[in-house]
Amino acid sequence: MIRNQVALLRREFWEHRAIFFVPVIVAVLMVLTSLTGQVSIGDMEHIDIGILGATNMPDSARSAALSGLMIALSSTFVFAMWILTIFYSLDSLYAERKDRSILFWRSIPCSDFETVLSKLLTAVFVIPLVTFMVIVATHLLVLLNVTIWVDMRGGSVWHLIWSAAPFVDNWTATLVFLLALPLWLSPFIGWFLFVSAFTKRSPLLMAALPIVMLPLLEKILFDSAVFAETFFVRSVKMPLFAGLDNVEILFQEGDEFARLAEAKLSLLSLMDLGGFLINPQLWLGIIVCGLFTAAAIYVRRYRDES
Amino acid sequence: MTSLVSARNVSKSFGALHAVDDVSFDIEKGRIMGLIGPNGAGKTTLLKAMLGLTDCQGSLSVLGLDPFRQRRELMQNICFIADVAVLPRWIRVDQLLDFLESVHPRFSRSRAEELLAKTDINSKSKVRELSKGMVTQLHLSIITAIDAKLLVLDEPTIGLDIIFRKEFYGNLLNDYFDGERTIIITTHQVEEIENLLTDVMFINHGKVVLDAKMDDIPEGYVELLTSGENVAKAQQFSPIYEREVFGKKVFTFEGVDRDQLTGLGELRTPDIADLFVAKVKGGSA
Repeated sequence: MIRNQVALLRREFWEHRAIFFVPVIVAVLMVLTSLTGQVSIGDMEHIDIGILGATNMPDSARSAALSGLMIALSSTFVFAMWILTIFYSLDSLYAERKDRSILFWRSIPCSDFETVLSKLLTAVFVIPLVTFMVIVATHLLVLLNVTIWVDMRGGSVWHLIWSAAPFVDNWTATLVFLLALPLWLSPFIGWFLFVSAFTKRSPLLMAALPIVMLPLLEKILFDSAVFAETFFVRSVKMPLFAGLDNVEILFQEGDEFARLAEAKLSLLSLMDLGGFLINPQLWLGIIVCGLFTAAAIYVRRYRDES
Repeated sequence: MTSLVSARNVSKSFGALHAVDDVSFDIEKGRIMGLIGPNGAGKTTLLKAMLGLTDCQGSLSVLGLDPFRQRRELMQNICFIADVAVLPRWIRVDQLLDFLESVHPRFSRSRAEELLAKTDINSKSKVRELSKGMVTQLHLSIITAIDAKLLVLDEPTIGLDIIFRKEFYGNLLNDYFDGERTIIITTHQVEEIENLLTDVMFINHGKVVLDAKMDDIPEGYVELLTSGENVAKAQQFSPIYEREVFGKKVFTFEGVDRDQLTGLGELRTPDIADLFVAKVKGGSA
């Protein structure tokens, strides 16, 4: 039932204002930082834009620099988004039990499946989409700020900024990345939903405990690190970038940086979306997420709340 | 008359505790049924089974549906207020109406707005900003605006002061009940709903102790207020319960003809609260 699902998603958005406020607060901080930066160098009237290297660098390098700025801005959002997703998933089925409103929600003709699905969709799609929109707005505001600064010094803003910034490439890649990340991390999201559905108290602790304890116990008992590696690989090595890890890509220098420049800093060309989508690890993760979600639905449906 | 709820040998246990123990009953359309029992008698468990919130043994049918397996369909035709405190505290009144309008095929927004207009509730207020009485008004307004066949109220007025309780039941009768709808209600404050019930069911230790139409109670039950030598005579008719009030004995009889008791003292129909005590205490004695 699409109609029910839309209503349920709207409900999540109303209940969890953080879905909107967390990225907006990050955006405000970014824009403020950018403004402060402009003010602090405002005195340096003698600075020639040429000295800053903006006018005499090749077009591709300028694009790369601007894309670098955009990535730097986006990466903070990605970090905030994942924190938000963790807290949202853990709270989504816990809050309604804690305030007893579950009795009201269950008096409405929406099945437990539909309700839990709306929470999964919020974590996997709604949060990334909202974050994406705020990122785009932040990019535009920060670049607008830079534009004002450059314009005041007589630089050609069109040439230096607006025609140079690889908007389409950067934004498309950002959107793909934001949507791919929750899919890759979906086993964690499923686990959080499940914990949120069954725990009687402190969902964060309950969720973190096995993630910390399993690798520890395994190390002590078997002196192996299967769990530790699984969790680690899952956390930081999303196979979306051909040959590069999602964490490493932000810190490339030397040869790899040259490779970025050679690719004219097309982030999309760095991505191997096809390879990502047929990666068995991705699908294994999605299956694990599905199992945990099914368990969450089962708990919500069968557990007596009295 | 069609029966809206039909229970045959329904049981529900939690470990060794038989919360609902082999219960059978029917509730007909257009009735207002009071479900009365002490704490832990199994009322809430029985209601939950009827609402599909918990599974049970035996055969239970509500509106012709299996409540546990067809809960989603059932919820289109049932409303329930489990407790006044269950409306989500973060939601705004207009958001609540928006939500119900989208998910509930039988919800009439205009009817809800009409009912809310009679109260002091502002549509931009959040539930957490409303007083407990207002939350109850809100809940009752939205429930009344749902064209449901069955309304289940589980202790709907708990924690409310007397004025709101009276108002709640007044509104329930005036706005909600139209003779077509059916209401099942549980409460501790029996005296307050006595006059609005058409049927009454007592539950104790998971069993149905009484299942009767209110109209039939005067025929089946009589209370005798007496003293002195009549006490012994009255006891010969084996009362189900006896108590003392201001030095006089009050006997409750079941299935004893009033004519036989005439002359022994003052006769009257027991009120629900007294009958409840008589059935529950008398039954266990």
